[in-house]
Amino acid sequence: MNDLLYLTALPASLALLSLFIRDVKLTRKLVPVLIWWQLGIVALVLHPCLINGQRMEFTSGLAVDKMGTYFILLATFVVSCCITHADYFFAAAEAHGDAYEDQQLRLFYASVNLFLLAMTSVFLCDNLGYLWIAIEATTLSSAPLVYFEKNKFALEATWKYLIVCSVGIAFALLGTVFIFAASQRGTLAVPTLNISELISQAQTLNFPLLRLGFIFCLIGYGTKAGIFPLHTWLPDAHAESPAPASAMLSGSLLNCALFGIWKVSSIINAAQPHSHVHQLVAILGTVTVVAASLLLLRQHNFKRLWAYSSIENVGLMVFAIGLGSGPLFFLQALNHSLAKVALFLLTGNIIQASGTKKLNKMHGVIEDCPIWALLVTLAAFAVTGAPPFGAFVAEMSMLSLSMTDERWALALIMTVAIAISFVAICAHVGKVILGPAKQGFKKFQPIRASIIPALLVLGTLVLGLVVNTEAWSGPWSMIK
Amino acid sequence: MILDTFEALAMVAAIFAILILGTTHLRTNLSFYSLHTMAIAAVTAWIASITHEDHLYLVAAGVFIIKSCSIPWFLNSVIKKINVGTDGGAFIAAPLSMHLGALMLGLSFMISQQIPGLIGEADSRLGSTAAMSILFSGVLLMLTRRAAISQIVGFLVIENGIYLFAVTQTHGMPLMIEMGLLLEVLVAVMVAGLLLFNIKKSFEHIDVSQLTELKD
Amino acid sequence: MTSINTDAILETLVFIAIFLLLPPLLVGIIRKTKARFQNRIGAPLLQPYFDLLKLLSKGETISKHTSWIFRSTAAINVSLLIILAFLAPWTSLRPFNLGADLFLVIYLLALTRFFTVLSALDAGSAFGGFGASREVTLALLVEPAVILCLAAIGSVSQTSDLGVAFSFNNIALANQPGLWFIAGCGLFLASLVELSRMPADDPTTHLELTMVHEAMILENSAANLALVEYAHFLKILILLGISSQCLLHAIPFFWHTTELILVFSSLVSIMILAASIAIIESVAVKLRWTKLPEFIAYSVAMSIFCVFIALSKNLN
Repeated sequence: MNDLLYLTALPASLALLSLFIRDVKLTRKLVPVLIWWQLGIVALVLHPCLINGQRMEFTSGLAVDKMGTYFILLATFVVSCCITHADYFFAAAEAHGDAYEDQQLRLFYASVNLFLLAMTSVFLCDNLGYLWIAIEATTLSSAPLVYFEKNKFALEATWKYLIVCSVGIAFALLGTVFIFAASQRGTLAVPTLNISELISQAQTLNFPLLRLGFIFCLIGYGTKAGIFPLHTWLPDAHAESPAPASAMLSGSLLNCALFGIWKVSSIINAAQPHSHVHQLVAILGTVTVVAASLLLLRQHNFKRLWAYSSIENVGLMVFAIGLGSGPLFFLQALNHSLAKVALFLLTGNIIQASGTKKLNKMHGVIEDCPIWALLVTLAAFAVTGAPPFGAFVAEMSMLSLSMTDERWALALIMTVAIAISFVAICAHVGKVILGPAKQGFKKFQPIRASIIPALLVLGTLVLGLVVNTEAWSGPWSMIK
Repeated sequence: MILDTFEALAMVAAIFAILILGTTHLRTNLSFYSLHTMAIAAVTAWIASITHEDHLYLVAAGVFIIKSCSIPWFLNSVIKKINVGTDGGAFIAAPLSMHLGALMLGLSFMISQQIPGLIGEADSRLGSTAAMSILFSGVLLMLTRRAAISQIVGFLVIENGIYLFAVTQTHGMPLMIEMGLLLEVLVAVMVAGLLLFNIKKSFEHIDVSQLTELKD
Repeated sequence: MTSINTDAILETLVFIAIFLLLPPLLVGIIRKTKARFQNRIGAPLLQPYFDLLKLLSKGETISKHTSWIFRSTAAINVSLLIILAFLAPWTSLRPFNLGADLFLVIYLLALTRFFTVLSALDAGSAFGGFGASREVTLALLVEPAVILCLAAIGSVSQTSDLGVAFSFNNIALANQPGLWFIAGCGLFLASLVELSRMPADDPTTHLELTMVHEAMILENSAANLALVEYAHFLKILILLGISSQCLLHAIPFFWHTTELILVFSSLVSIMILAASIAIIESVAVKLRWTKLPEFIAYSVAMSIFCVFIALSKNLN
């Protein structure tokens, strides 16, 4: 119980403080420092699980295993990076003349802290009901982030986000009810929503009801994750929010929803491995990747481009879940988060400097700011899965795993789709980077703006060079 | 088919949900929603008295206070402030969508016979029929109405349908989860209501079919 | 030859007296309740009787463009409605069973409407024309509701004879409070439209352009008008009677009581329904013409629910 308090006390109190601290500049400097401190606290509290791999149980319904620990660390890391860069982002806005109001900034920092709290609780949940509540809490706490700019576009994006995600999650609730009914009407007749109990008793559950519940949970949490065709809210929400917020949404919120899918998927896998319903997951992942890569071909807005790339990566992660491989799921999530956060932060810089989001009006960043251009290129390669970055290793392992599972068709389609998306992204990024210098490109402290993105790109590079998936599937194996 | 009392109440709730579809007058919609939720709270209390699970009494009280009184009151005050009396229109005429909703009631009766694992429990079939028809009514409401408030009401009706399903089939989920659910719905409605103010201020209308600025 | 049954003759006489004399009292109740709702004393309860008598003693003015249809419609309507009063199950006092088929009842009602519409067109005035067209439009929308509600009741009892379906000895319909209640609500909403009360039509309006029913009877005067008004009162009695029977059947108490209490409560329930019409009239507003189908849709939806209930009983 104390551990829970340590994990949640700091974000909760920061959320409250940010609303009331008068001097917003102080908040802007203080919150990043404290969130890095939170990262240290999280690592300390969870280190038994980190080192030994043992499951830590806090109270009934809240427990964390190795996967959860890694995800919590990743989420906190992503939020720390984005918040650190946010200080620069707001300073740049001030320098360009359209500073944000104090009240807006206070709400921003408060929402970010609540968002971090909600995400941490998602990964701590061992109970399907609590999981549902936590994921809905992440939707509600990220809505103010999407609405930050308070203009018409942001309003429309927030409305669609709230409504589509809430309705989607309502279907996930229906799925949860079905799974509860499955446990109630199984051979043991012990009704429970506790995930570990469900996994251990999976063979005794009422399978038809479980299957129905799984489908609804897949639809529900899939809406939140951005699976095709339920992805319509994603480009709007991720494009209209400010750059640090988009980075957090793409980098960690999608992981929460996918974590939900992973948990439900492990229940049904434990009940009946290789069931037809489970094959559906990999197919959904492939369809999402194909749809996203086709949609990437025609993009006009720089941020929407990266939002669709997020959808593609969600498809890849769902594919990994569909193959039943936890390590690959986490690896892809890790690489995607690092690269995507770097991309969104850099995109934010470039958009602020050029004053437009439209792709056809941006060009010549390589002449205006070579370091940003370099980092954007590297990060774009990283996110599309080019070697030697980490995503390449993850995607290669996924494709080889699917071939050993004899799912040739899916592997082939995925390869083609990934190739298409690579070409599309490179074409768009190329048009932005190359070409004559743009008039009125007002960059602000370019070196300072590049620190965090550079760190992240370096991270994916290191992961790609160092990580060996054989080495991964050994000690990282998370499936029993 | 002799109706158990809680099944009769569940059907009453389903009928109110269908009646919501019949009018575009927003305050009438909210009053029907309020009555519909009261019927659902009554179902919960009745099941609590049958199965002697005392935590369901608390849940019934929570549903009554939060969903039947506070949320309609809050939405009513939002409607008054943004000064919108009726829905701008619907993609299908209101009476037609109400008849569709009534047809969905028949459809959900047929579907509820097909749900695996629930067949054989003759006394729960009407409960799941009512729950599914409420779900369909909510979906119809969300799809065919243009005012943003109707989308919120549609979402609330969907939640009610899922909750009724849980209560009649599984006799309620654990207390903490139900309370968390109620709180969540309340917060979601408040956030949506606040957003609605701003939509009215910026766009001068709350017609979601005109929120089409963002496209690829 | 059977011996003369004095009880039956007495019951029949009482029955005839009730249906001949009750209708104006119902209208009196409606008007008095409305007046009290508006915080005024209002005309005495028996005023409609006096109005009818007054009309009978007046001189008649008939347009010279009318034909035999106009002159005889009032009488035809009253006769048809008296036949209906004998057949339709509007009360629990039924000294005889004449075999009231569902479709016969509905067609008789439709026949009265047919003649009213013809007489309105016959007079050749513009108001008659559009009143007739509006009335027929509303009838088109509302008849399915009435038919489906009654047909659902009939199908559950496996007969189309309304007298048998509405009797309190019918076991098949004994334990169906839901079906009866929903049918009663649907029929009540439908009768609000058929009787041209609010929110479909304001019976006290003086503005011809807002009239639906009144516009059709504008040309009548003196004895014709008295008969037309009386026919309308009879229609109120019959339609409210059918709705109140449905609602009474929904209450299990009435299935096991004596006949006297049944008769008494059926008459009292008709009066209560009349008072509730008055309350609705005081509280609701007349709907715009284009919004009327929405209101009528509610009664149609009730009838669809009745059909579903009947289907589910028949499929079990």
